[in-house]
Amino acid sequence: MTTSMAMGLPGVSLAPGDHICAFYRGAAQRDELLVPYLREGLLAGDKCICVTDDPGADQAVRTLAGQLDVDLSLATGQLESMRSESSYLVGGCFVIDRMIEFWDGAVGGAVRHDGYQFVRAVGEMTWALRDLPGVEHLLAYEARLNDFLPRYPQVILCLYDLEQFSNGQILLDILRTHPKVLLSGQLMDNPWYTDPEVYLASHS
Amino acid sequence: MTLLGQDAPSQLERGLLSSLRSLLVLGKLMTEGADEQQILELAVTAAPSLARCSLVSVELAGGRRRVPGLDAQLALVGATGGLVELPKMGWAWAYPLSSIAGHLGHLVIGAATEPSPEEQFLLRSLAQQAGGALANQRLHAQEQATAAELSALNERLRGTVGALQHSMNIHTRLTAVAVSGEGSEGIARAVHELTGLQVSIEDRYGNLQAWAGPNRPDPYPKDSPARREQLICRAKRAARPIRDGARILALAHPQGDTLGAIVLVDPTASASEQALMALEHGATILAMELARVRSLAESELRLRRDLVDELLNGTDEESGLARATALGYDLQRPHRVVVIEGRGRTRDNDTFFQAVRRAARDEPAGTLLAARGAEVVLLADREPDWESLRRSVMRELGGGRARMGVGECCERVNEFPRSYRQAKLALRLPATAEWDDRSIRFDDLGVYRLLVGIEDLSEVERFVQHWLGDLMAYDEQRGTELVRTLSHYLARGGNYELTAKSLIVHRNTLKYRLQRIRQIGGLDLGDPDTCFNLELATRAWGTLGVLRSS
Repeated sequence: MTTSMAMGLPGVSLAPGDHICAFYRGAAQRDELLVPYLREGLLAGDKCICVTDDPGADQAVRTLAGQLDVDLSLATGQLESMRSESSYLVGGCFVIDRMIEFWDGAVGGAVRHDGYQFVRAVGEMTWALRDLPGVEHLLAYEARLNDFLPRYPQVILCLYDLEQFSNGQILLDILRTHPKVLLSGQLMDNPWYTDPEVYLASHS
Repeated sequence: MTLLGQDAPSQLERGLLSSLRSLLVLGKLMTEGADEQQILELAVTAAPSLARCSLVSVELAGGRRRVPGLDAQLALVGATGGLVELPKMGWAWAYPLSSIAGHLGHLVIGAATEPSPEEQFLLRSLAQQAGGALANQRLHAQEQATAAELSALNERLRGTVGALQHSMNIHTRLTAVAVSGEGSEGIARAVHELTGLQVSIEDRYGNLQAWAGPNRPDPYPKDSPARREQLICRAKRAARPIRDGARILALAHPQGDTLGAIVLVDPTASASEQALMALEHGATILAMELARVRSLAESELRLRRDLVDELLNGTDEESGLARATALGYDLQRPHRVVVIEGRGRTRDNDTFFQAVRRAARDEPAGTLLAARGAEVVLLADREPDWESLRRSVMRELGGGRARMGVGECCERVNEFPRSYRQAKLALRLPATAEWDDRSIRFDDLGVYRLLVGIEDLSEVERFVQHWLGDLMAYDEQRGTELVRTLSHYLARGGNYELTAKSLIVHRNTLKYRLQRIRQIGGLDLGDPDTCFNLELATRAWGTLGVLRSS
């Protein structure tokens, strides 16, 4: 298993088990993160799972076609691209356990059955701002995800739009639930990160 | 638990480093933050993680106070910050939110006990970062507002430039039409091309003059005169294009005189501002065009009238022919001078003139004519049925009266005055003057033609005096009408009935007058020779009267 790998952004390396919150402003900055991240993974032969919430993000994935045969990647299953409605919000609500199972099935299947050495996942998190049942458990889910990460050789990148996540308290809680933070093209160990157990205990 | 809760120096250093990194992340997040509220919330939420404190509040300069009663204290500590007093707090400090943009407010921290120097350092750094981020955000918001304002201004300018460009296109296109002399057809076509709508040009009365676009209506619908007048009045009052059902109408009225209208056919009411602008420009160009055409027509009419006047008053051959040639008129054809008198239902000389002009054009009889007082003189270059021409005038007038005298044919320029005099005599000789309205050719006047043609009238006057002298003297002294009575009697072959009727007198009155004529004149009205000479004398008497008056 690789111990360090390029993320796709200049000078940024990933390590297996990374759970990263990436902050950006607007669709253009989102695509500047999303596209290189997936492109690097596809080139490295990683399994790539992409969950988008904004239809514009789908188009961004398509822009990969400029450099890669995206259709082939989709056809072979190396790249899985899906919408939040068919992942986070199946049935019009968010359920933590169901989502953890989703990742377990998708990532575990790729590693155990499809033989991928590594999995890159990315999720556009704006779905959590919808007025739907269960979305209030977002941060508990993010904390729980930290326990899931070590199970497989994987990285999960959570995309947060600062123009939409405007509440300061929520932003700090997002920081507290991600061991790493990607800000202004710089990936850092997150000093605000709080152990999941401690965090969940303080928010239960 | 705070980040600086450990006592061991190595742990303290590690803790401080961790806190500084936390501040760095927070600072980046604040800088990236979307709005002011987000920055303030981050600062307030993060402070307890950096130091032991139980109250955190951001008090913006000029903003509403979150912690009451702080105004005076914050004013006192100013931009440097300092110790403040808060109820139930053992320690409280106002850290300035400073930036290069100036003092933005304070981050007020309250705690049970005074925090350690390291904690205070972190809190001060947090306040500085928040202040910097706040200033950046405000600058950014201001830039965005300026950019939005500039963008809106640019958009308005683009709109204005677009409108000006369109206006210029309209102006250029229609000016080109005006200069090229394409007339009403060209104007209609240009407005149609500029608007994409069907365009018609109507005269003052609603008659179609030009059409541009598909599906030209045939026949062209026309309003009643009353409705048309109402429409024109409404358009004049509005002083801009007005909607009339499926049409938008703009008047062409130079100097307030309505000459016509230009119409956009717009059944779906989809005409844009630009289309209306094109219509208004079109109306202006149409007004100029119609004024030009009218001016030309008036000039030509005036020139024709001058030529007619000159010919009737007598001019030399060379001058007359030159003037006629300048007008494109062939004068070297046989002509007759025709004088038409009359009036329509209203006494309007212009209406009468136009009626004669149309009748002469349609008959056809001629195109050179002029109004002279109440009469119209036509120089006829054809030989139409004169009575038919007179009836055409009546038709054009729509009723009223019309009498017509036709002079002899003239072959040369210097013969026009003679033909004119003959035409007038034909209307005024006694035998014709009392006839019903009709057309009278001088050629058909019989003995009158001989009398008019005599150069020396003194012999005629002596002849009249010989036969009618006593009666004329009696009439003059007594104011009677014996000569006129005798004239009517002889002209009707001595028929009592017809004579009484023509004079509009009773039969007995006629008999009395004839008796007086026999007595005063010593005349035998039963003698054929006497009657012949008397009839000739009465006709000569009437002719002399007309000749003297003319």
